[in-house]
Amino acid sequence: MWKMIVSELTQAMGDLARGFAHILPRIIVVVIMALVGWVVAYLAKVILRSILRLIKFDRLSENAGASQLLTKAALPSATDLLCRFVFWVAWLGFILLGVRVLGIVGLQEQIAKFFLFLPRLFVALLIMFFGLLLATFLSRAALLAAVNANFPSPRLLSVSVRTIIIIFVLSMAFEEVGVAEQTMLVAFGVAFGAMMLGLAIAFGTGGKELAQQFLEKRFVHGRKDEGKEDELSPL
Amino acid sequence: MAETSFLTDDFLGQLISVGEVDILVGVPTHNNAKTIGSIVETIQAGILTFFPRERAAIINADGGSRDGTRQLVISAAIGDAQSRSKPYALRTLRSISTEYASSPSSGTALRTILAAAELLRAKACVVISPESTQITPDWLAALLRPIYAETFDLVLPTYRRHKFDGILLTNLLYPMTRALYGMEIREPSALEFAFSGRLGSQFLAQNAWHDETARAGSEIQFTLAAIAGGYRICQSFLGAKEHVGTHSADLVPVMRQTVGALFSSLEPNFSVWNAKTGSQPIPTTGAKQEFSLEPLRVNRKRLREMFSIGVAELESVFQSILSPSTLAELQRIAALEEASFSYSAELWVKTVYEFAAAYHKSVISRDHIIQALAPLFRGRAFTFLVENRNGSAANVEDDIEALCLEFERLKPYLLKIWNGRE
Amino acid sequence: MPLEQDEPWYKHAIIYQAHVRTFYDSNGDGIGDFPGLDEKLDYLVDLGINTIWLMPFFPSPLRDDGYDIADYYSVHSSYGTLEDFKKFLVSAHERRIRVIIEMVLNHTSDQHPWFQQSRSSQENPRRDWYVWSSTDARYHEARIIFLDTEMSNWAWDPVSKSYYWHRFFSHQPDLNYDNPAVREEIWNVMKFWLEMGVDGLRLDAVPYLMEREGTNCENLPETHAILKELRRKLDEQFPGKMLLAEANQWPADLRPYFADGDEFHMAFHFPLMPRMFMGVKLEDRKPITEILQQTPEIPPTCQWCLFLRNHDELTLEMLTDIERDYMNDSYAQDKAMRLNLGIRRRLAPLLDNDRRRIELMNGMLMSLPGTPSIYYGDEIGMGDNINLGDRNGVRTPMQWSGGWNGGFSAADPEKLYAPLIQDPVYGFPAVNVLSQKRTQHSLLNWMGRLIAVRKTTGAFGSGSIEFLYPGNQRILAYARQLGDEKILVVNNLSNAAQAVELDLRRYKGNILIEMFGKNIFPRVGELPYLLTLGPYQFYWFRLRRI
Repeated sequence: MWKMIVSELTQAMGDLARGFAHILPRIIVVVIMALVGWVVAYLAKVILRSILRLIKFDRLSENAGASQLLTKAALPSATDLLCRFVFWVAWLGFILLGVRVLGIVGLQEQIAKFFLFLPRLFVALLIMFFGLLLATFLSRAALLAAVNANFPSPRLLSVSVRTIIIIFVLSMAFEEVGVAEQTMLVAFGVAFGAMMLGLAIAFGTGGKELAQQFLEKRFVHGRKDEGKEDELSPL
Repeated sequence: MAETSFLTDDFLGQLISVGEVDILVGVPTHNNAKTIGSIVETIQAGILTFFPRERAAIINADGGSRDGTRQLVISAAIGDAQSRSKPYALRTLRSISTEYASSPSSGTALRTILAAAELLRAKACVVISPESTQITPDWLAALLRPIYAETFDLVLPTYRRHKFDGILLTNLLYPMTRALYGMEIREPSALEFAFSGRLGSQFLAQNAWHDETARAGSEIQFTLAAIAGGYRICQSFLGAKEHVGTHSADLVPVMRQTVGALFSSLEPNFSVWNAKTGSQPIPTTGAKQEFSLEPLRVNRKRLREMFSIGVAELESVFQSILSPSTLAELQRIAALEEASFSYSAELWVKTVYEFAAAYHKSVISRDHIIQALAPLFRGRAFTFLVENRNGSAANVEDDIEALCLEFERLKPYLLKIWNGRE
Repeated sequence: MPLEQDEPWYKHAIIYQAHVRTFYDSNGDGIGDFPGLDEKLDYLVDLGINTIWLMPFFPSPLRDDGYDIADYYSVHSSYGTLEDFKKFLVSAHERRIRVIIEMVLNHTSDQHPWFQQSRSSQENPRRDWYVWSSTDARYHEARIIFLDTEMSNWAWDPVSKSYYWHRFFSHQPDLNYDNPAVREEIWNVMKFWLEMGVDGLRLDAVPYLMEREGTNCENLPETHAILKELRRKLDEQFPGKMLLAEANQWPADLRPYFADGDEFHMAFHFPLMPRMFMGVKLEDRKPITEILQQTPEIPPTCQWCLFLRNHDELTLEMLTDIERDYMNDSYAQDKAMRLNLGIRRRLAPLLDNDRRRIELMNGMLMSLPGTPSIYYGDEIGMGDNINLGDRNGVRTPMQWSGGWNGGFSAADPEKLYAPLIQDPVYGFPAVNVLSQKRTQHSLLNWMGRLIAVRKTTGAFGSGSIEFLYPGNQRILAYARQLGDEKILVVNNLSNAAQAVELDLRRYKGNILIEMFGKNIFPRVGELPYLLTLGPYQFYWFRLRRI
C-alpha cells in the first residue's frame, strides 16, 4: 500500500511539475514582453514629448483652457498627461499581448475587446479636447463682441455659448465611447431644447425693447438723432 | 508666378498702352460715386497745374462698385480722342480702372496700385482716398513734390482736424510708433500718402500678401516698412480733414487694421525698434498738425460706461493679458465716480505695452487681444476728452506730447516683458 | 512724274528750298550764284526733287537776307545776271524741275527807288506808295513781329519828317495797298517773272498787306480782296501757275487764304510744324492730332505745304504759353538759340543729330497731308551756327565735300559770304554730299529712297486722312486714301520700343505690304492688329486686297 501512495504522489508531483514546466516558459515570455514593452513605451513617450514640445502643445492647450482645468484637477500639464497616457497604453498593450500567450480562455476575447475600445477612447478624448478649445474660443469671442457692442449681460451670453458647446461636445464624446448612448442623446436633446426655450422666453419678454432698438438701428436709416451728439472717428 | 495673376488681362493691356509714367495717382474705390467725381476732377486739376509736363496716369483699383464709380474715374482721362470740353493739357492724361475683386479690401487695392506703379516704372506715386472731399489741387503738389524732386521716398500727410478727431491716432498709434521707431510721424496710418517707385517695389515684393492680417492694415504696414527699410520719410501739411461721423461700433475693425497691424509688425521689426531711444522730428512742409476747436458734443458718458463694463466683464480675458498690478489698477479706477475718473498716461502706456507683449506671445487668439483692448481705449478716450474739453490747440498738443514722452519713457518696460514670463 | 496728270502739279511736288547765295559758287567770289545752282541741278534730280523754291535773289542791301528788295526786276549782281537766271530756268525745266520764287509784296527796302522818291517830299507822285503818318499812334493794336529788334511798327523818317509804317525791320517800309498804283505795279512785277517762265510765287508776309484802324492789321478782308484780285489775273493770264502763301496763323485764320479756291493754291501749315517737334519730345501724339483735328477742310484744288525747317527761326508763335515754354526748355536751353518767339536751329541739331528721329520726322513730313518742303542741307543733316546773328546760323554754305571750303567755292575761306560749319560733328569734313553719296546707308541716300517711295502713290499728296487713336498715345497712326489706294502709316514717337494694337476692322481682309521692303505682313482680321515698333520707327503699309 505504501508503494501505491508513493507512486501516486510521484505521479501527482510529476503532473504538477509538468504543469509548471508547461506554464513557466509562457510566464517568462510574458515577462520578456513586459520588459520589451516597457522599453518601447518609454521610447514612444520620449519621442512624443519632443514632438509635442516642438508644436508647442502646451500653449495650445492653454488656449483651449484645458491647462487651467488640469491644474485645477491637480493633474500634470497637458504634454505630460498625454505622454504618460501613451506610455501606459503602449506598455499595457505589450503586457496584454504577452498574456495572450498564456492561453487563458475568455481572456483573449476581453483583450481583443480592450484593443478595439482604445481607438474609440482616443477619438473621444480628441473630441473633448478640441471641443474645449472651440468652446473657450467662441465663448470669449462672444464675450468680447458683446462688450464692444454694448450689449447687456455679456457674461451671460459668453457662458451660454460655452455651456452649449461643452454639452454638445460631451454628448459626442460619450456617443463615441458608447456609454449610455441613448440616454445621453435624449438628455442632451432635452437640456438643449429647454435652454433654447428658456433663452427665447427670456429674450422675448425681457428683451423686447432691446430687440426693437437693435432692429431700428440696423434697418431704419435716416432717422439719425439730430443735434443729439457728434460722432468721433477714431482715426 | 501665381502671385501676379491678380492682374487681369484687360488691365494689363491697358497698362501696356499707358506705358512708362512719371507720376501715378492711385485711387482705391468701392461704391464712391457720390464723391469720386469731384475728387477726380481735383486730381486732374492738380496734375495739370503742378505737373503739366510730366507723364501722368490715374489708376483706379475698384472693389466691385455697382454705382458707376469706375466710369466716373475713367472719364477723367484727357486725350486726343476725347471731346473738346476737356481742360487744356500739354500731353495725354490717362485714367484707367480695374476691378480687383468683387468685395473691397484695402490691402488688395493697394497691391494693385503698387503693381501698376512697378510695371509703369512710375517715379512718384500718390494714393488718394475716395472720401477726401476736402481735397484741393495743392494736395498733389504737397504730396508729390518731395518725391518727384527725389529728396524723399515717403510723404505722409498732416491735417488740420478737430482736437477730438482721431483719438486712437493721437493716443496710441502716433505715440507708440514714435516711441518705438524713434520718428515723430503724426499719421502713420494715412489714407493718402505718396511714395517713390523704389519704395513701392520693395513693399510689393516683401509683403506677405497672402496673409489676411497683412492685407488689412496695409497703410500702417507701408509706413513701418519704410521706417524699417531706412527710407527717407517726410510730412506735408495738406489742409483740413473732414470730420467724418462714424458709428462707434466701427472702432473694433479700425483697431484690427491699425493697432493689429502695428502689433503684428513688432516681431519682424524687433531689430529695428528695440535699440532706439527717444525720437526725432521728421522733415515737415507746412504745419506739423493743426487743431480746430469748434464745439463738438460727444457722448462721453457712454465711453466711460463701456470702459467699466469691459473691465468687469472681461476680467478672465485680462488675466491672460495684463499684469496683476495693471489689472488691479484698472479695476480700481473702473470703480471711481465719473468726476474723479482718470485713466492716467502711465497706466495707459503700461496697458498698451502689456497688450503688445501679450499679442507677441499669442497668449490667446490675437484677434481677441485686439478686441479686448477696445473698451480700455474707450476709457482712455474719455479721460482725453475730459482733460482737453476746454483746452486750446496748444494745450492739446502739449497733452499729446506728454503722452508721447511717457511712451518713450516706458519703452524699457516693454522690452522687459517682451519675452519674459510674467 | 506721278501718275495723276489731272491733279494740279503742286499736289505732287517735292519742294526743295534753297538760297542761290548758299548753294554753289561758280565764279570763286565766295558767294553762290545762278550758274552754280545750274550746275547742281542734277544733284536735285538724283534726290528726287521736282520743285525748287528760291529765296529772294533781287538787288538788295541785304539787311534782311534779301527780303528787303531794292529792285523787283533784276537779279543781285553777286548772284549773276538776269540772263543767268533765265538760263537756270531753262535748265531746270529741262530736268522737269519747276521753279518757285519769292515775291515780297508787303514791303520793300528803304533803298528802293520807290521809297527814296516817296520820302523825298509830300508832293512826290510816289508819296502815297507807302504808309505815312504824322504820329506813331495809329494802328496801335497791331503786334510787333520782330520783338527782339523793333520797339514799334512806326519809324521816324528824318528826311520827310514823318513816320512810316513797317511790320518788319525798320528798313523795310510797308507798301500802301490802298493805292491802286501800288497794286498795279505789283501785278506788273509778278507778270514779269511769270512771263519769264517761273512756275510759282511764294508771297511773303501776306497777312499784313492792309491796315485798318481798330484792328490788329492782320488777315483783313481788304487784304483778301487784293489777293483774290491777283489770283484772278493769274488764272486768266497764267493758268497752271501757283501762288503759295506765307501766313503764320492759326488754322482757322489760314483757311480764308484759300477762300473758295480763288485765292491761294497753297499755304504753309505753320501751326503743325512745332507740334511735330513737340510730339516727338513729349512722346505723345496729342499735339499733332489735335492741331490736325482743328485744321479745316480746304477746297479740293488747294494744298497745304508742310515743312520741318526753313530759313527763319522755328516759330513758336502759334503755341500756348505752356507749349512755348516747353519747346524752349526742350529744344533751346541755351537762350542764345532763341529769337523772336522762335528757335533758330537746323533740323539735325534740334534732334540731337539722332538719325532715327531725323528719319521719323521726315517720314511724317512725307506722309501727312500736304506737299513737303525740304530745307537745303537738311537732307544731309547739316548743322548750324547761332553765333552768326539773326537767322544766319541756318543759312551757311552748302557742304558738298570734305575739301576746300566744303566744295562750295574756290575762293579764300575768308571771302565766303558766311563761314562754313566746322565743328567735328556737323562740320563739312563730317557732313557733306560727296561722302554721303558714297555711303550706302547715309541720310542722303535714305532721303532719296524716302522720296522715291512717296512718289509711288498719289495718296500722300492728294488723299484723305483718317486718324486711328490706339490706346498707346505714343503711336501716331493714320490712314491715307485716294480712290482705291489705301495707305496705313504708323509712327512710334517714343525713344523706346512700343507695342500697339490697332483697330483695323474696316480694312478687314486686306494684306499689309510694307512699302520700303515690299514684304507682306499679316492680313487684317477681326482681332486688333498688333504691331511692334522700335525706337522712333515708322511703317508705311499699302493695303491690298487680293
